[in-house]
Amino acid sequence: MAELAFLLNGTPVRLTDVPPTVTLLDWLRESRGLKGTKEGCNEGDCGACTVMVQDDQGPRALNACILFMGQLDGKAITTVEGLTAPDGSPHPVQEAMVTHHGSQCGFCTPGFVMSLATAHLTGERDHDMVLAGNLCRCTGYAPIIRAAEAAKDLPSPPHIAFNLAEISTGFPKGGVPPLGEGVRGASSPPTSLDAFATWYEENPDATLIAGATDVGLWVTKQLRDLPKPVFLAPLSELNQITSDGAALTIGAGVTIETLRKALSASHPGFARMLRRYASLQVRNAATIGGNIANGSPIGDGPPALIAMGATLTLRKGASRRTIPLEDFFLAYRKQDRQPGEFVESVTIPASAPNLRCYKVSKRFDQDISAVLGCFDLAAEGGIIRSARIAFGGMAGTPKRALAVEQALIGRALTPEGIAPALPAFAQDFQPLSDMRASAAYRLKVAQNLLTRYALEAGGIPTSVLEVAP
Amino acid sequence: MALDDKKSRFKYVGTTPNRPDGVDKVTGKAQYGADITAPGMLTGAILRSPHPHARIVSIDTSAAEAIPGVRAVVTGKDFAPVEDQGFADIGETCMARDKVLYDGHPVAAVAATTPAIAKAAIRAIKVEYAPLPHVTDVDEAMRPDAPVVLEGRALEHVPAGMSQNVTNTCEFGHGDVEAGFAKADLVLERSFKVAAAHQGYIEPHACMASVTSDGRADLYCCTQGHFFVRAVCSALMGMEASQLRVTASEIGGGFGGKTTVFIEPVALMLSKKSGRPVKLVMTRDEVFKASGPTVHASIDCKIGMTKDGRITAGDMTLRYSGGAWPSGTIEMGAQAGFAAYDMPAVRTIGWTALTNRPKEISYRAPGAPQAVYAVEAVIDEMCQQLGLDPLKTRLKNAAAKGTLSSYGVTFDEIGMVATLEAAQAHPHWSAPLGPNQGRGVAAGFWFNFGGNTCVTLNINTDGTASVTEGNPDIGGSRASISLMAAEELGIRYENVRTIVADTASLGYNDNTDGSRVTFAVGLATIKAARAAIKVMCERAAALWGIDAEAVDWIDGAAHPSGPNAGKFPPMTLAEIAAQSFQTGGPIAGHHEVNVDGAGVSFGVHICDVEVDPETGHTLVKRYTVVQDAGKAVHPTYVEGQMQGGAVQGIGWALNEEYIYGKDGRLQNAGFLDYRIPVASDLPKIDTVILEIPNPGHPYGVRGVGETPIVPPLAAVTNAVSRTIGKRMYQVPMSPPRILSAIKGA
Repeated sequence: MAELAFLLNGTPVRLTDVPPTVTLLDWLRESRGLKGTKEGCNEGDCGACTVMVQDDQGPRALNACILFMGQLDGKAITTVEGLTAPDGSPHPVQEAMVTHHGSQCGFCTPGFVMSLATAHLTGERDHDMVLAGNLCRCTGYAPIIRAAEAAKDLPSPPHIAFNLAEISTGFPKGGVPPLGEGVRGASSPPTSLDAFATWYEENPDATLIAGATDVGLWVTKQLRDLPKPVFLAPLSELNQITSDGAALTIGAGVTIETLRKALSASHPGFARMLRRYASLQVRNAATIGGNIANGSPIGDGPPALIAMGATLTLRKGASRRTIPLEDFFLAYRKQDRQPGEFVESVTIPASAPNLRCYKVSKRFDQDISAVLGCFDLAAEGGIIRSARIAFGGMAGTPKRALAVEQALIGRALTPEGIAPALPAFAQDFQPLSDMRASAAYRLKVAQNLLTRYALEAGGIPTSVLEVAP
Repeated sequence: MALDDKKSRFKYVGTTPNRPDGVDKVTGKAQYGADITAPGMLTGAILRSPHPHARIVSIDTSAAEAIPGVRAVVTGKDFAPVEDQGFADIGETCMARDKVLYDGHPVAAVAATTPAIAKAAIRAIKVEYAPLPHVTDVDEAMRPDAPVVLEGRALEHVPAGMSQNVTNTCEFGHGDVEAGFAKADLVLERSFKVAAAHQGYIEPHACMASVTSDGRADLYCCTQGHFFVRAVCSALMGMEASQLRVTASEIGGGFGGKTTVFIEPVALMLSKKSGRPVKLVMTRDEVFKASGPTVHASIDCKIGMTKDGRITAGDMTLRYSGGAWPSGTIEMGAQAGFAAYDMPAVRTIGWTALTNRPKEISYRAPGAPQAVYAVEAVIDEMCQQLGLDPLKTRLKNAAAKGTLSSYGVTFDEIGMVATLEAAQAHPHWSAPLGPNQGRGVAAGFWFNFGGNTCVTLNINTDGTASVTEGNPDIGGSRASISLMAAEELGIRYENVRTIVADTASLGYNDNTDGSRVTFAVGLATIKAARAAIKVMCERAAALWGIDAEAVDWIDGAAHPSGPNAGKFPPMTLAEIAAQSFQTGGPIAGHHEVNVDGAGVSFGVHICDVEVDPETGHTLVKRYTVVQDAGKAVHPTYVEGQMQGGAVQGIGWALNEEYIYGKDGRLQNAGFLDYRIPVASDLPKIDTVILEIPNPGHPYGVRGVGETPIVPPLAAVTNAVSRTIGKRMYQVPMSPPRILSAIKGA
């Protein structure tokens, strides 16, 4: 059982007996009787359970169905019930959703309202992006977006803005230890990264939980009991991005959305792909370290990082080792990580102006990649001098296209120039057929994406799906 | 008293006030199926088959029953057989008896004190299966050597010698089809496949049942028709209808998918056995695996056309499968396919076959999108081949008043020509297109429905009105019904409140389906209001001491008319209501009817797409829906239906499909892999509402909810086909299928 303290709709809540892997959604609905937050899928796909969570990183929309209670210590949570002011007056987005008829059956509405209210508070005006994680089956979205537009310039009510410094440093900061049930009984509960590294080396059976966007499903879908759950978010050393001028080192706990914003100027191709990594709710929770450590062959982070020549720093106790990221992925779901060792950071060049990442999926937003192709080519005088190419969805692991890279050197960076390198894809990849795409489609698309890179290098945009970083 | 039967000038109808349920929905106060609780309530859970087809050898529930906190276990044996075949089939979808017939078929259920105990208990149930060969594709199921899903279910008129999976066949049409083809300059025959789609409502099925020891029961559920729920559940439970009260919660989307039961009888049986209230809520995975998607279809369509675009004949064969039980949807598809056109010769033959899939249930215009897709795609390809304008060609063949339709009905006033003309005049039709872009157009048709309807309208003593109706509100019907009551009574919309009553409070109401509610419940509300007005006129006449026939109801007040005109000042509804206790008691109006005369509805959709030549990804750039609504009672909600239906059709056209593996199991039972559109997939859908009055309704209302899902499959197909220069014959047109058509990958 965990000890937690947080603000719920402005009211301090202190819990001493809640299992740490109970989800916020279940707790709200079953223990707290707050039924406005809806369960539509219980796997982070529909957004009907969206809540607003505020801490020192600012307000974020998160899916309550894959958010463990253990992740909430010291945070301020606002649900749809807390959006209406104490005097009963509705939030501007609630008012606009009524008058613009943005609610038909209404089941998805609380989730939409929470996404919209969070964006309203942060000033984010890209409504399609804000709502990518909210499914509505009735309206076709137009009335909802009209409501968002109508509300955007109205002031956000003061009762949902919390003193973030107070939340992060003082009350309602929860009891010690902050890392969850897994560390209970430790002689010196870890509160720093060094202490955690020592503790984890001694407790390699612990379950490390960062954003819980995948681990959450182990609980909600697979009904697994997680041994020694440990929540990494309080380890602030993992949440840093540091620069030494030539390289950026990204802590494993940096969320995808934080990374997207931080890299939009220096790594525009990467940032554009991260926009499509997942819905905003999932990007707000998921971490780059989790994406790497998870080892999924269809994770969107690793191919882009490999194409940039990223190195991975793994830590076990006091010792660290640094390896090229591609060497971390040994085989399908098998990574080069020792018991008691964890992903500490990933290091990439300070900029990647030539990197392009092409995500191929059925839906623009919130979809799993059938193929993700990442290309970082450098040319001098129109001739390719270096090439790093990596793909997701083409093998059992994220994988470099070494034969293609080699075949490209010395060729002109034009569709005609790269054409002789296209057959090399068949040397690099023997993709599988599954319900997302056939092997033939994957191979053909991989080749087409290289052609696309060459077209774009020549200033000819071809994709219908490009977005601004 | 004089009351116009038909009305064409309106004060409230046609305005767009806020819906009465709006504030509750944006503040989280609205109560849906899973939000309802009761003291002592247990949580139910269902064990489902992992096999697509297997004989149940044995079920051992003893370990589950031994778990502390488990209060009831139910299997198929707990339900007594029922005579009505339709109810028996529904019962078997809820709980298997001897065989499991699809991946996800329920085999047992438990009720326990906590959700965790319930989940642990279903894992403790041991089921021994003897797997049987399975079939999940309609064409394969029709082969004589196919595995037989159910024996002895073919109707008598199905020819001998076919697979026992073929349960029904039907034929519609008129004229000499072969002679018609002989007159054509071009005869084109194409074959199509349409995958099954799911309604995709965001609210999973949920209910709470409470059976008392004296045999009475209450059931709360999210449904499109609680009277039908009562009929099925009381039959399966062996109860009298009067002993089971069903209350409909707010409904989080249905689109046809909540017009039957999947978990309600199980919850009732668990409650009966445990003596406690029981809540059952489906997971999303269960919704996909074991609630009803659409049929999947295989279609051959042949059309003859002269070189100037006159259709000479049409001949189509539809093969639908509605899963493991007989399905009637084939008849609606076979009737709807060619209905938009004036055909000198037409024939549609339908077949339906059993497959190891969940039992199909309605989805917005059930059966029509598939058949109309084939017709509209063939017409479009013929227009391309003959160099004809697709809208002008459709206009040349459009059905009109007096046309003998493809399904045998002669049309009254209809809007097909007007709808095509409005599409032609819309700026979208002539807007320029960019590179890798193309435009498609398609028409669509739906019958619409009336049906059994019962409404009570009470005049309150403070001058307000309460309307009690029996159809769950899935598209804003409480607002539109209040508008119609306000219109008749002559009081403000805000002074009318419409509620959806439980099954004990009204006579039988058919499901909220067939686009019937605004039409049929609206009609009954208008008639109920007129009955109340008649009473109010009588009360005023009595107070004035004149003949009741000499009173007119104008703008919310009784006026003396004829020889008494001007003798007394008008008496308002509020004044009459305030005196009602002294003039004879409470004032109410009722209307009970099986409504006929639902006017058919046509729509034309224009779609622009851009296709990514490297990946086959399609983006819908612009989309316009033109539809005849008869009379738009609440125009914003009419638009909402038109946009929502079109978007569902777009999703189906491009991405949504049930994918079964070779093992007969559903591969994509979640929203991540069953991809419904999100905001960024869609443009804002333009709408044009036409109002060609339906002669069957006092205000001219036609149903609008279903027609908009009919044209998109073909509108998007025609746009994609024209963009890539290759015709597409399969829905959905996922990126791999499009890239394959482009490049032969």
